Amino acid sequence: MNHVKLLFFATIRERAGTRTLEMDIPEDMTVQGLKEKLANDIPALKESMLSVLVTVNREYAFDEAVIPPNAEIGMFPPVSGG
Amino acid sequence: MQPSILPTIFSITEDEIDLNALLSQVTLPSTGAAAIFTGMVRGETRRGDAHDTDYLEYEAYIPMAEEKMKQVADEIRAKWESIEGIAIVQRIGKLYPKTPTVLIACTAAHRDTGVFEAARYGIDRLKEIVPIWKREVSPDGQFWVEGDYIPKPGE
Repeated sequence: MNHVKLLFFATIRERAGTRTLEMDIPEDMTVQGLKEKLANDIPALKESMLSVLVTVNREYAFDEAVIPPNAEIGMFPPVSGG
Repeated sequence: MQPSILPTIFSITEDEIDLNALLSQVTLPSTGAAAIFTGMVRGETRRGDAHDTDYLEYEAYIPMAEEKMKQVADEIRAKWESIEGIAIVQRIGKLYPKTPTVLIACTAAHRDTGVFEAARYGIDRLKEIVPIWKREVSPDGQFWVEGDYIPKPGE
């Protein structure tokens, strides 16, 4: 298993009810797999996982990417700075 | 000029944006032009869905946001070789109407070498890829402002 740290922001943080979450995931889990796991584990996030942006170690990551050990994973809606 | 000495400033801050201090940090002896964009909290919106705003509350994924600001600065330098200094600063926290929230400053020797376009590019890219969000609080309630840009691989 790989240990990873999730960071939630904006609407995702509010729906998750927490800023951070640590968990163990299978070594071959992809970004898509993680989104499916969270949609399953945290019902309040189910709808958000359809459109969430995901980062792995502070770079945007896409569905097929395999999550490396000790990854810092960000999850958030499209950005709105400025 | 050595690229390594060109000043590039990027930060997320809860403090007031100090335009004069930032401008002096991106001004070289050879600088003759600066284009500065700043956005502020708009208290009265008339275009589109007209409404008033009490305040905006910003949050950021700070370490990633600063890395992406550096990436935006690198992209500016790749597009406009004339650019000397670049400052990209986003203020976060609770910000009220008329308050500057973001600043992009680009400097160059002369005004006709791309400084205006570079600053415009900087704010446009910040709004696409830098992880910052704002929640708007108005007399009618509150809502998260969400962008519509989906970053592509490599961004």
